[in-house]
Amino acid sequence: MHPTTHPAIHVAPGAGDVMAMVNEVWSTFVDAAPLFPTSPIEADRSRSAQVRVTGAWSGMVTLEVSEVAARAVTRHMLAMSEITPEDVTDAIGELVNMIGGNVKSLMPEPSILSLPMVAAGHIAVPSEATEVTRLDLLWHDEPLILRIHSLENDTRSTP
Amino acid sequence: MKILIADDSRVMRQIVIRTLRQAGHGGHEIVEAENGADAFSKIAETSPDLVLSDWNMPEMNGIDLLAQLRASGSPVPFGFVTSEGSAEMRQRAESGGALFLIAKPFTPEAFDEALRSTGLV
Repeated sequence: MHPTTHPAIHVAPGAGDVMAMVNEVWSTFVDAAPLFPTSPIEADRSRSAQVRVTGAWSGMVTLEVSEVAARAVTRHMLAMSEITPEDVTDAIGELVNMIGGNVKSLMPEPSILSLPMVAAGHIAVPSEATEVTRLDLLWHDEPLILRIHSLENDTRSTP
Repeated sequence: MKILIADDSRVMRQIVIRTLRQAGHGGHEIVEAENGADAFSKIAETSPDLVLSDWNMPEMNGIDLLAQLRASGSPVPFGFVTSEGSAEMRQRAESGGALFLIAKPFTPEAFDEALRSTGLV
C-alpha cells in the first residue's frame, strides 16, 4: 500500500479503546451530555489542537472543533460563564493533551509526549503522516473531529 | 495544610482545585505555579506541605522539578497529576521519589485516596 523501500507498519490504537477513553475524559471534565458518533463531516473546524508522541511509537493526535464548541467546552471545563480567548486556547490544548497522553499509554513505550499546540483553522498534517483513527463526533449538534496519525519514526536508534 | 499545584494549564489547575473540594479537601491553602521552574522557586518561598505537579510542562517538567527538589535537600511530599498513567511513567515517578501518580481524567475519590496515602490528612 505504501510504495516505499522500507514499508512502515502503521500501528493504531483500537478505535473502541480511543472512543471509550475520549468518553471518559469528556464525562469527567467537560459535560455529562454524551458525544454522538456521526458519519465523517466537513464542518466548521475553526479551532484545532495537536500533540505529538515520539519514540517506540510516533504519531500525532489532533482535535478540531468549531468556535462555538471551543467556547462551550472552555466554559464547561472552567465551570465559569466569563472566559477569555486565552482560556479557550488553554482548555482545547489541555483536552488534546489528556487524550494524547492516554493514546501514548495505549501504544508501545518508551515515548515522549510534546506540549500541546493550539491554532486557528484546521490542522496541516505532514506528508509522512498516515491517518490511522478518525472519530467524527457531535456534541450539542456541534462537530468535533479527533484524528490519530501515525508518523514514520525517523529518530529510531540503531537496533 | 498548604498545597502547591504546578500545571501550565490554568484550566487544569482550576479543575484540580475543584476536585480537591469535591473530595472533601477544600479547606487547604492553595499555591499555584505555572511550570516546574516557577514551582521550584514558590516551594522555596512558601514551604508547602504537599506538591501536586503535572509532568509535561514548559521551562521545567515535573520529573526534573522533583529531581531538583531532592538534589537541593527538599523532602516535600510530591505527587504527579498527569495525562500519562502508564506503568513506565508510574515506575519513573516512584523511582524519582513521588508518593503517587494520579492519571487524568481523575475522580475526587482518586484525590482522596492519594492524599490519605501520604498520611498528611
